[in-house]
Amino acid sequence: RAHSNPFSDHRLEYPRSPDDMNWEKLFPKFYDEESNSMTSSVEIADIGCGYGGLLTKLAPEFPEKLILGMEIRVQVTQYVEDRIIALRNKHENDEVNFQNISVLRGNAMKFLPNFFRKGQLSKMFFCFPDPHFKQRKHKARIITNTLLSEYAYVLREGGVVYTITDVEDLHKWMVKHLEEHPLFERLDEEWEKQDKCANIMYNSTEEGQKVTRNKGSKWIACYRRLPTPEDCV
Amino acid sequence: MKHPFQIVLTNKASTILFASVKNHLQVFRIADGEVIGSWIDTVDIFTPLKKQQEDKIKALKAASENKDSASDSNDGSAEKKLKNNDSKPIKIPKIPVPGPGAPPIYNYIRSLALSKDEKHLVGTTDSDKAAIIFEIDLENSENCLKLIKRQVFPKRPCAVSIDESKLIVADKFGDVYTIDIDSEEPVEEKTLSPILGHVSMLSDVLVASYNDKKFILTGDRDEHIRVSNYPKAYVIKNWLFGHHEFVSDLHIPEFDPSLLISGGGDDYLCLWKWYEDKLLGKIELRELIEPFLTEAHFPPERFLTPESPKEISVSKILTYASKSKKKYILVLVENTKSLLTFELNDDYTVTHKQSFSTEYPLIDITLNENDGTIVASLDHETTDNLLAFYIFNENDELAILEDKIDLVKTITTANQCDVERRDEFYPLYYINTLRKRSEH
Repeated sequence: RAHSNPFSDHRLEYPRSPDDMNWEKLFPKFYDEESNSMTSSVEIADIGCGYGGLLTKLAPEFPEKLILGMEIRVQVTQYVEDRIIALRNKHENDEVNFQNISVLRGNAMKFLPNFFRKGQLSKMFFCFPDPHFKQRKHKARIITNTLLSEYAYVLREGGVVYTITDVEDLHKWMVKHLEEHPLFERLDEEWEKQDKCANIMYNSTEEGQKVTRNKGSKWIACYRRLPTPEDCV
Repeated sequence: MKHPFQIVLTNKASTILFASVKNHLQVFRIADGEVIGSWIDTVDIFTPLKKQQEDKIKALKAASENKDSASDSNDGSAEKKLKNNDSKPIKIPKIPVPGPGAPPIYNYIRSLALSKDEKHLVGTTDSDKAAIIFEIDLENSENCLKLIKRQVFPKRPCAVSIDESKLIVADKFGDVYTIDIDSEEPVEEKTLSPILGHVSMLSDVLVASYNDKKFILTGDRDEHIRVSNYPKAYVIKNWLFGHHEFVSDLHIPEFDPSLLISGGGDDYLCLWKWYEDKLLGKIELRELIEPFLTEAHFPPERFLTPESPKEISVSKILTYASKSKKKYILVLVENTKSLLTFELNDDYTVTHKQSFSTEYPLIDITLNENDGTIVASLDHETTDNLLAFYIFNENDELAILEDKIDLVKTITTANQCDVERRDEFYPLYYINTLRKRSEH
């Protein structure tokens, strides 16, 4: 199934609050039994991670950072889970052992704040999101003015929202909403060129590779999380 | 018999009562029950459908014009052929007639709120998804209500709140809008843009202050309560995590605006220091309310299992500071013949005070914080007894105000919505329908 309705009450598992999240299960090698706590927390999130291509490419770039993929489709999540297990087994004794990436099934549009604390994330990726072409369905798009406030909440100051799509209309939509949101500021092309994540995003996802094979266009837009206004808390 | 009142609301001085039944809104003088204001919503319940049709026709026309111009400019291509085949006169879509089994459309007032200065009454309608704003002029001896604005929204409004000259509207789609409380022309609904949004139906919205700074609190059909800065609502302060089921009512006591009491589909209420993001405690309801639950509290048949418990849905939370300086929380659980009261102690612990049983199930209640009187609308098949008056007595216990029989009769008789049978009642209890029953 290519689509999933983000409004429906899927029977999802999600923690009551970030305090209740059991990260040990997803990142066992980053769990310290003596102190009974995680030695690192998730800092990079790939929202709608699809088949996990981006996760596997990011893994060696940020060996000390935890990277989480969120995916709403059950079978796709299962696939990525298996893929990560296989990678971890295969590279058990290697320097890059894929212990820092994981995936969970979830509805980020509804439950993101159940997983992440205020300012916990430094990077959020939105790669080839569902375009929801119909006007009526636009609220189902993953980038909207109102959802950007939630992304701004989980992102720290200076954190980056990465977007990429092969649908020009959706690109314009995402840019428009990010542009309008007072807590985001566009990063220019120069920045995109020198940023390794932007490059990885352009080349590594399964969707992205499909677009390249079909000689389609890809549009990127990256935005920095601005400081919270002084009169707000 | 008379259709029960669906919403009751009194002013601070306890001199007037606003009450709604279906599409009727009436204002009564509490001293003698005389009707001093009224308004009937005459909007056609098919308005939204008609509007949808108009929009569709517009879109079709625009599309056909586009096609015409496209085929003019395109030459001899395969594309042109296709388009020519297509260029029939546009079909005018029919207004869809709801078939059997379609959910009925109701024309009723969904919520009511009074501005702080009591100069405006605001509400929301179900029929055309509008917010309605009335000016209240008690000097006008014919009708104290004057509708000054009717703003239609893209999605059905569920809850309203007022911040000075702004009306804050939370809708079924999870979005919150603000509009001005004035008599200016309403704006085109498509130009409205939300100040914040959840991806879940909103059930309540409040404006709260802390150290002179304002916030908006929103509760939704998932378990979320969000605290956002205001007016910069795009800066989220935090979420209050404590509910397992939907949230249906948020209440901030006048005697302590740093507190929040929230309730919904859980067996408990949550007591918060909302600014500090601190859950002070939970107020357990299950054991106390169990004796008042009936068969009607079981889940709908297709979700019923032998293990299904009777379900609790909080329909109203109110607070009262008594003359003896004690603080009370008053809870109405949907479709019960009872009111539960709790004493709120200085250390924020809570002690059950009273399980007050009533003769009929209560639909809605309104509490006057100054004198401790309560007006309740009753779920009762009657022509003269649709309200009850209660009071916190000298022992801070709820008691019936006995001398109101004539008043209740006068008010009930003035209710113009007559029905033959109970099954003509509009749904009186719908909070439990917020409960999620997902199978996949």
